[in-house]
Amino acid sequence: MYPSVSGNIQKYVVHRIGMPSRDRSFVPPCQATCPLHMDIREYVDLVAQGRIMEALQVIRGGNPFPSICAYICTHPCEESCRRSQVDKPIAIRALKRFALEFGGDRMIQVEARTAHSEKVAIVGSGPAGMACAYYLRNFGYPVTIFEAHSELGGMLRVGIPRYRLPRDVLDVEIQRLTRMGVEIRTNTRVVSLDLLFDMGYKAVFVTIGAHQSLRMGIEGEDSPGVIDGATFLREVNLGLKPSLGDNVAVVGGGNVALDAARTVLRLGARKVTILYRRSQAEMPADPAEVEQALEEGVHIQFLVMPTRIKRQDGKLNMTCIRMELGEPDASGRRRPVPVEGSEFNEEFDTLISAIGQAPQTPGDFRVRIGRGSTIQVDPATLSTNRRGVFAGGDAVTGPATVVEALAAGRLAASRIDDYLQHRYPSLDKGGRETLVGDLLPETVEMIRKIGRIEAPLLPAEARIKEFEPIELVYDWEAAVNEARRCLRCGMGAEILFQDKCATCLTCLRVCPYHVPYLDTMGTIQIPADQCQACGVCIAECPAKAIVLRKPYDRRHVTEELDHVLKSASESKVSPLIIGFCCQYGLFGTGTLANLWRVAKAGIWIVPVLCIAKVEADHLLRAFEIGAEGVFVAGCGEQCARENTVAWVHNRVQKARKVLSEIGLEPNRLQTYVPSATNAYPAEWLDGFVEQIGGLYLASVIMKEVKVDSR
Amino acid sequence: MIVAEQKPLPEIRRMISPYERVLILGCGTCMTVCDAGGEREVSFLHNALRVAQSKGGNEAHHFLESTLKRQCEPEFLEMLVDKVGEVDVILSLGCGIGVQAIAERFPDTPVLPGVNTSFMGISSEQGVWDERCAACGDCRLEDTAGICPVTRCTKGILNGPCAGTKNGKCEANKDMDCAWVLIYKRLERLGQLEKMRRYYPMRNFRAIPRPKRLVRTPVALGEDDG
Amino acid sequence: MANALFEEKLHSDEFLVTTEIGPPKGVDVSEMIHHIDILKDKVDAINVTDHQSSVMRFPSLGGCLLVKECGGEPILQMTCRDRNRLALQADLLLAYSRSIVNVLCLTGDSIDVGDHKEAKPVFDSDSVQLLKMIRTLESGKDVSGNDLKGVPKFCLGASVHPEADLIEPQLIKFEKKVAAGAQFFQTQGIFDLASLRRFMQYASQFDIKILAGIIVLASARMAKYMNDNVPGIIVPEAIIDELASVEKGKGLQKGIEIAAKLIRTIKEENLSHGIHIMAVGNESVVPDILEAAEVEVARH
Ligand SMILES: Cc1cc2nc3c(=O)[nH]c(=O)nc-3n(C[C@H](O)[C@H](O)[C@H](O)COP(=O)(O)OP(=O)(O)OC[C@H]3O[C@@H](n4cnc5c(N)ncnc54)[C@H](O)[C@@H]3O)c2cc1C
Ligand code: SF4
Ligand code: SF4
Repeated sequence: MYPSVSGNIQKYVVHRIGMPSRDRSFVPPCQATCPLHMDIREYVDLVAQGRIMEALQVIRGGNPFPSICAYICTHPCEESCRRSQVDKPIAIRALKRFALEFGGDRMIQVEARTAHSEKVAIVGSGPAGMACAYYLRNFGYPVTIFEAHSELGGMLRVGIPRYRLPRDVLDVEIQRLTRMGVEIRTNTRVVSLDLLFDMGYKAVFVTIGAHQSLRMGIEGEDSPGVIDGATFLREVNLGLKPSLGDNVAVVGGGNVALDAARTVLRLGARKVTILYRRSQAEMPADPAEVEQALEEGVHIQFLVMPTRIKRQDGKLNMTCIRMELGEPDASGRRRPVPVEGSEFNEEFDTLISAIGQAPQTPGDFRVRIGRGSTIQVDPATLSTNRRGVFAGGDAVTGPATVVEALAAGRLAASRIDDYLQHRYPSLDKGGRETLVGDLLPETVEMIRKIGRIEAPLLPAEARIKEFEPIELVYDWEAAVNEARRCLRCGMGAEILFQDKCATCLTCLRVCPYHVPYLDTMGTIQIPADQCQACGVCIAECPAKAIVLRKPYDRRHVTEELDHVLKSASESKVSPLIIGFCCQYGLFGTGTLANLWRVAKAGIWIVPVLCIAKVEADHLLRAFEIGAEGVFVAGCGEQCARENTVAWVHNRVQKARKVLSEIGLEPNRLQTYVPSATNAYPAEWLDGFVEQIGGLYLASVIMKEVKVDSR
Repeated sequence: MIVAEQKPLPEIRRMISPYERVLILGCGTCMTVCDAGGEREVSFLHNALRVAQSKGGNEAHHFLESTLKRQCEPEFLEMLVDKVGEVDVILSLGCGIGVQAIAERFPDTPVLPGVNTSFMGISSEQGVWDERCAACGDCRLEDTAGICPVTRCTKGILNGPCAGTKNGKCEANKDMDCAWVLIYKRLERLGQLEKMRRYYPMRNFRAIPRPKRLVRTPVALGEDDG
Repeated sequence: MANALFEEKLHSDEFLVTTEIGPPKGVDVSEMIHHIDILKDKVDAINVTDHQSSVMRFPSLGGCLLVKECGGEPILQMTCRDRNRLALQADLLLAYSRSIVNVLCLTGDSIDVGDHKEAKPVFDSDSVQLLKMIRTLESGKDVSGNDLKGVPKFCLGASVHPEADLIEPQLIKFEKKVAAGAQFFQTQGIFDLASLRRFMQYASQFDIKILAGIIVLASARMAKYMNDNVPGIIVPEAIIDELASVEKGKGLQKGIEIAAKLIRTIKEENLSHGIHIMAVGNESVVPDILEAAEVEVARH
């Protein structure tokens, strides 16, 4: 990389971080659904720009253990992603994983200093406990984690199989916690909280998870050969190798059932069958995982429920009944009803029952227990009925997800901090407005359809041989292209200066997505939930009344240009050539990466977030400051938008007219858009440089001639 | 809406050449809408002049930018009082009315027109404006199906098309609709062709004497309710 | 003053023949006089064009004076393009005082097609209003209602375009011209006799004379040029092809043939009350055309 370029990026990063921002953008649906409220839109955008380090910073800022989420998060964000109205949601989790791996998350050190004397005890080391410890350490409290098992991690350690969450990933996060100074006591089952208070702990966070498997409640359930899912997985995860036989049945339809079945396969069983009492549509497990399980050879029988188990000759003879779906129940799913007289028998070697778990709270904790044996808390503060005792995670919600547990841990840390500092709990005031509402059909229609790029998987045959992680990580190109699909919901254009707006209707007319509209009062409106942040109207508005909602994006081109101009003026290489280049896909995709790489001394690149945002003014400024040649390079076919180039051409034309009016060659200003016939940016750039070099030389000679003749 | 076009850069450079400190003054109403002198054009022109200056020009101007909501109202011009003291000339990107309003308000400061005020018209599509009204003071649209022959016929004739019309276009410009064909078609559609058969005498050019002035006579208090 | 020759002829059943002369750009009128000389006895009247196609020339009124001096019968073409109502009326007074009484009232071509595109188009009146204006003068008043000293009398003509692609508005205007006092009409160039026939079937209800306009084409190029540039003219492809088919230098000859054939048919089939030949720069061939068409004007 040329000095210009690397210098660029460094300053860029520094700049960004220290920036005060008044963000008027809306909370996009992904962020709104994420229990951690992660700024997904932001880091996805940074990935799209190839700014992985910054993406990583954003990710780390919103998630204590992003590497874990990168593997096994249930990604409710993707479910709510508005891109699914266009084609498919953004592969947010896979992008996060990419950012972590390519951004070097493992190298990142986290430090903490003790600032308070009040000690906090955390009972249970699952994600909720770990997250709480992480943030409390950040706040400066001495923290001790008490864990009944020999190793930290809760279900991450003893539940989720290794092929989905490699243990070294978990270990890195735990090491960080230790480095931060979290005291860890494994093999320590807490039986009484009083004891902890006696030991001097001023607050306790109870996060003991939900580990008690629910019983099927049928005859023969306690026969040998019948085992519950949580126990089975724990045994496997702790290194035991239970003997299962060849033909195994798993009862249930959730994550645990799926993981148990797939683990059974990896342990070498010949056949494994999941029995689920509803149909595939009602399965709580992630559909993608069900898909993968089927690929791997797991059998699933739907609408089947065991009613009796008999052990005979070392085998389990199981009576099942067929079910049909009736009226929806409280969960909204249709309730399965047994079909009379449809019983049948089947034989298995082992039966794993995975129909759910519940917390099991030691009675001596003296915390109030509610429905499903969960600990009752005030949802805003996570405090229990006991003073100084907080609870969260699966123990409070019943079996849920890692990200919910992390969010609970983070919330608990803040509330415990409030508690210890005798503050009225600082309840969430809700900052920015949340984006609600769907995209309008006319908007959807105009959005370019671009298929979702899935992260690659190991082939099914290879997967079941061992416990290696099955999902691979994106390469640069795939990641950038996937990230570029993001619609950047809620950070688009707004009319910042209504009084400047002349209601000329330019925005309404130029918007490629039919977003701006006239309200019944005759005022122009740019609805935040429809705008695609393309920036076309911003550059076209004759009153300059429209800006991007995000302060940084608003100033982006101008600041980049200033920055380049400053560095360029220091470098004194002539002739100076300035190029405005689409920053998206800069690293990931061939063309722009090429341009960047081949940029010789004297070529300065102003990265822009889509060339549609380059205004005619910017082009002139580049010349004013001394550029001999200026070009705008778009990304061509890869552009997430249609017709960007047409707008750029207009502005280039406008600026060229000025050039010729003041006696400069208009071809000093050019547009480069890669296309089939023009695929080599390096070649093009060489040509341009040569051309400008020629013009420059000619002008130098002319000057000398003038001087001579004086 | 008043429609104008920015003057060519060389002309603007020539006009401002005697002055050092130049205030480029935009107008936030019509000139913004017709892309001739809104804040964006002010800033673009500013940049263009600076490029001109840095690339070989001998000028050494200092520029100031500002855009008023409307240049044609004295109250808005009041906002300029401080700035005007700091400059040698005002380059107005307002229409001819704005330029003259400035001349009246600031008797000691020269003012230059940065645009050619062209006509009153509509924006037929993004970036395209068409003249629609000549402000003749004697509106004929009742008889011509709402299409103005005075403005849209190059000859402004009142009794029907000349023989030059071809394919519905005007003889003066093949891209321009013949106003009289439009009028005919619309009258026919409205079932009002008898309006076209009527004889229209020569126009009264003193309908309002030039320069025109419009005085809205206030209704005396109480007059309405008798 | 006695009724003009031409007006008398309008009232007869004679097949009328008129032609037109374009005055020169400049003061050398010798060629024009030559044209007048060879034409004056072959036609019933000679139009003098008024800055035809908006190209500035020697004025039509001046040209008419020359026709008069040479003993011909002039028709003064008068457009509204360059003069407001004062100038128009004044010119008419002058014309009448010099016995120039045939006036062809035209709106005038657009300034944009001529050689002074930056000039101010006047169009204070249009052709219909001009006809009315003249009839007003004949009543002894100017258009502002003031009395005139001495009252003029004119023979008024106007133009009509039977081949217009949208004929209805043209007919509306035609009727307005009739109502305003036009006595004869010289049509725009006619190439398609079917349209002339249709027009005459309609126009015969009015007490006016129609002279079919005949344009003399000198080459295919000229025909195409006129199609593109001369207001109102539509030369059919077939005629362009016919012109293009002859060898170089023979174009004019072909043009003469075409014109003569048109005229002969018009006369034989009684398609109009006469013809008006527009030779556009080739005025000297008009007698040849007439001869080829076997048309002779009646002598009095
Ligand atoms: C098989 C399986 C697969 C899953 N897959 C996913 C997935 O893909 N994605 C996802 O988001 N979620 C998944 N989950 C759910 C997720 O693991 C849990 O929701 C999450 O771990 C809950 O975190 P927690 O901190 O509340 O409790 P846990 O992770 O359950 O941790 C509780 C800890 O407390 C300890 N403990 C209990 N009692 C005591 C005591 N008295 N003293 C000391 N220590 C005690 C336990 O040993 C345990 O280590 C899965 C769960 C299972 C079982
Ligand atoms: S398109 Fe982008 S911003 Fe919108 S919901 Fe999806 S990931 Fe979030
Ligand atoms: S930024 Fe783009 S998508 Fe948003 S309103 Fe403006 S033109 Fe439309």
